[in-house]
Amino acid sequence: MTGQSGIRLENVSRSFKGRGATVQALDQVSLDCPAGSFTALIGPSGCGKSTMLRLALGLDHADSGAVSIAGITPMEAARAGMTGVAFQDAALMPWRNVEDNIALPLDVLRKSRRDNAGKIASLIELVGLSGFEKALPGELSGGMRQRVAIARSLVTNPQVLFLDEPFGALDQILRRQMNVELQRIWISSRATTLLVTHGIDEAVFLADRVAVMQSKPGRITRIVDIPLMRPRRPDIFTSAEFHRLEDEIAGALDGH
Amino acid sequence: MNLTIDRRHFLGLMGATAAYPAMSRFAHAASPFNFQASWINDAEFMGYFLAADKGFYKEEGLELSYFSGGPDVIPESTIIAGKADLTLTTPDTTIKAIVEQNAPFKIIGAQYQKNPIGIVSLAKNPIKEPKDLIGKTLAVPPVNVISVEAMLKISGVDRAQVNIVPYAYDPTPLIKGEIDASLDFTTNVPFTIKQSGADAVSFLLYDFGFTIFNDTVVVTEEALKTKRKEIVAFLRASRKGWDENFKDPAAYPALLADSWFKGTGRSIDNEVYFNRAQKPLMETDGGIFSMSEDSIAANIEALAAVGIAAKREHFDTTVLEEI
Amino acid sequence: MAIEAIAARFSTLRNWLVLLVLWEICGRLQVIASGALPAPSSILMRLWIDRADYPPHILATLEGAGAGFLIGNSLAVAAGVLFALFPMAARLGRGVNIALFALPAIAISPLLVLTFSGATPRIILAAIGCYFVTMSSTVTGISQTDARMIDVIRAYGGGRWSILALAQMRSALPAILSGLRIAAPNAVLGSILAEFGGGGRFGLGVYLLGSLGRAEPDRLWGIGLAATLIAGLAYALFSLIAVRFTGATKAVTVPATAPGGEATSWPLWLRLLLSTGSILIPIALWWLLLIAMGTPAMIAKTPVGLFEYLFLLPNSGVSQMKLLAALGQTLPLTIVGMALGIAFAFGLALMSVLRPGIIRGFMPVALVTQTMPLVALTPLLVLMLGRGPSVILWITISVTFFPAFVTMAQGLSMVPRAALDVPRAYGASLFTQLRLVSVPASLPYLFAATRLAVPRALLGVMIAEWLATGTGLGNLLNQSRGYLDYGMIWAVAVVSVLMSVVFYQCVVLIERPVLARRGMHAAQ
Repeated sequence: MTGQSGIRLENVSRSFKGRGATVQALDQVSLDCPAGSFTALIGPSGCGKSTMLRLALGLDHADSGAVSIAGITPMEAARAGMTGVAFQDAALMPWRNVEDNIALPLDVLRKSRRDNAGKIASLIELVGLSGFEKALPGELSGGMRQRVAIARSLVTNPQVLFLDEPFGALDQILRRQMNVELQRIWISSRATTLLVTHGIDEAVFLADRVAVMQSKPGRITRIVDIPLMRPRRPDIFTSAEFHRLEDEIAGALDGH
Repeated sequence: MNLTIDRRHFLGLMGATAAYPAMSRFAHAASPFNFQASWINDAEFMGYFLAADKGFYKEEGLELSYFSGGPDVIPESTIIAGKADLTLTTPDTTIKAIVEQNAPFKIIGAQYQKNPIGIVSLAKNPIKEPKDLIGKTLAVPPVNVISVEAMLKISGVDRAQVNIVPYAYDPTPLIKGEIDASLDFTTNVPFTIKQSGADAVSFLLYDFGFTIFNDTVVVTEEALKTKRKEIVAFLRASRKGWDENFKDPAAYPALLADSWFKGTGRSIDNEVYFNRAQKPLMETDGGIFSMSEDSIAANIEALAAVGIAAKREHFDTTVLEEI
Repeated sequence: MAIEAIAARFSTLRNWLVLLVLWEICGRLQVIASGALPAPSSILMRLWIDRADYPPHILATLEGAGAGFLIGNSLAVAAGVLFALFPMAARLGRGVNIALFALPAIAISPLLVLTFSGATPRIILAAIGCYFVTMSSTVTGISQTDARMIDVIRAYGGGRWSILALAQMRSALPAILSGLRIAAPNAVLGSILAEFGGGGRFGLGVYLLGSLGRAEPDRLWGIGLAATLIAGLAYALFSLIAVRFTGATKAVTVPATAPGGEATSWPLWLRLLLSTGSILIPIALWWLLLIAMGTPAMIAKTPVGLFEYLFLLPNSGVSQMKLLAALGQTLPLTIVGMALGIAFAFGLALMSVLRPGIIRGFMPVALVTQTMPLVALTPLLVLMLGRGPSVILWITISVTFFPAFVTMAQGLSMVPRAALDVPRAYGASLFTQLRLVSVPASLPYLFAATRLAVPRALLGVMIAEWLATGTGLGNLLNQSRGYLDYGMIWAVAVVSVLMSVVFYQCVVLIERPVLARRGMHAAQ
């Protein structure tokens, strides 16, 4: 059984109707992320990984099957403030400054900003944006905006964290740095995390388990455990074990 | 002369022996009375402006609200809708509405004994009688087309030989010669033409058989029952205003320049011209607003020519008798 | 680049100056319409002489327009929010929206004066001028809110109202403001039109009416100039506010799309129900309003009263004949005028790409034609063009082309550079670029412009008929007013609204499949 704050998808199917054709985005997919685990979803475009995440977030509804967060529905979990999310593009509000953007989930959940002022300040420090509290998103670089989005996803002390290609728009160098920072943040929060990614290296570096997906219809074809010790240091990217895991996942993606 | 009669009659109505206390008591409890004029503020309504300024309505115990008219304001509509108690109309439209739509109107007086509407043309291309219109272009406000057609018919001119186009408030096309004549108030437009350096000639439709009043005083049958006292008071005060005005038609418009005529876009000289020109069209033996049996008969006859079946009962002269 | 920009500015300025000097010479020498076109200097001198007259009139116009602006836009934003949040409401409100958009102001003004009193007709006409523009801008603004932003709020359990309060309203603000800046001059023009007809004491429309009989074109042009100035200032004011909020200026057009909602996902019976509802609602509102106002049945015709007038009375046959005859005169000219207006706008839009200098020089003239009250221009037009169909067509073109031109020019300018780079790389001429890329790519804007032109074409024809030729629906309306033929006044108003709506729907019916085949969406 799932623990207190696990993510659970059971036999979930979801299809979309396009012009004349029906796309089976997810076909009988099951995934169980235990409390405190870090799971990465990887797969080709259109394999349904973002759909899975949207279902788990309660942004979309399955045609059949069940999705639960800590034993309750995703929407209930969201309303209870248990979850946090960061999307591929930062999706910041251009008219809110860094602080206010980070505080957005508090506004949605009608929680006091004042009570959480310390939390916001420490998150800004955690993501290395001290001094930019009052800056507008338009004045920040792409990497900085993404860090705001990460800080925002953590402001509610989520027990469950969803990351939808949060670094997809960043260059390789910045992405590595962000991966290291994310691991540091995750270790200190220990939230159950589901990461959707395109990057094999990112998945191996961050996750306990990597779920490999295939498209047409969207499904999980393999789950690869990542038995690397934490904290993982940047030099692990060049280790033989890392490469072996990368190759295994690449093979799974090719259908082997 | 009129004044003393008015006062005596007024006192009689009040049934008061002491005039002053009664008057002031009445003035305090002044009855509101709404009057809808048929056009924007110009000399056409001098008498009402003067009566208001000189306090004639107050003396009669009326608290007058004056509403200016405009192209979209149908005077008859305002009394049906209860926005006004009394209005000024053209008799043809009012009677047409009574006959065809059972509109509950009564014509209780006439401001113009002779309709001031006529055919205006330039002296250098004069149109002095209906026959001169043959082969010419005449601008007519769409609402007056039937009047013109009646006049042509009465004068034996074939309608098809006159090119009738719409008249859009502005005499420029006439002055520039794009049209040969236009139908307008002969009390007004010749002034504008003179201002522009040309000379105007005109004739009244009235003088060529279309013998109708204009600015007929109209109330609803309902108002005649419930507000008769106020209506009589209004007519009496208004007649006083007009009489006062015609004592010196050239002098009064200037006195209203900063009140009633402020910002109308027209000039005081224009109003003076208008005021002088309308005097002979309004004055009559019975006093302003009166409708003699002969003139009512002439109206009925003229309206019959345009297919409007006017009847004597559409005119109510009893209110005039009470003035 | 900077030097080029300055040079372009300079040449625009030079063109304006040339135009002004030409106008002055024409005015002085009285060459146009034997002097009915006054020289700019005499207009200005006249304005100076009349300066004491203006303040109360301008104040009154600002009052009417201001009240209408506030009321119309408040309703528009509320309706826009409702339509954006509830597609079903949008589908139901479609009929009312299109009807309000298509109302020819000259047909509706007498009805307002019949039904309401005092300043109310001014306020309503000003409000109607604001409603559609702001409502559709609001819908556009809200529905164009960044979807990810909405996802963030929903992911934290935020509902419809949280999304609206935290994301949609704020991100719709630039769109709403750009709607308001079109709405502001509309409110001014709406108020002036109602002032002209409605019989008040003050207001620029009243001043215009009083001045018409003077045969002094310089006064009329002065009033037109004052109206243009107020409308222009209102536009500028909201442009400034918009710049403060958006940080960037954007080309702005009048949106011409009524929000339709996503009808495809609804079952047929529901769609039919909603369509019927959307047709019935305007009729119900018309009815309810008259009941609420308590206007007597003789002057205020309810749908039933109108039906009775047109079909059941002994005189109905005559009424029908009159109406059909007038329609027969108005309809063909409306279609031709609309086609010519759109063609002219299209030509101008192409010119704005091919010869931007000429268009920039032409813009002031175009702007003046939009805010000069037509009744003040009629003598000039009649003297120049006579009183045949040509004057109708020219007036129709002049009221039709401008918004259509602005929309089309915006469409052409919004074609992405990258799309133009391909033909350019193969050495295509500007004309070929237009033919192969710009025009097809801006097809949604061409349709939007056509939708915009539809009700204006009818308005133009009716105004010309009323003022110049004495034919068709415009004349019938005016004549019926004089004859107290209330049934006919309502009939003409309803028929003209229906005609506009039918034309509009025809454009939509052609637009949808054409754009769908090309994988495009309707432009706002």
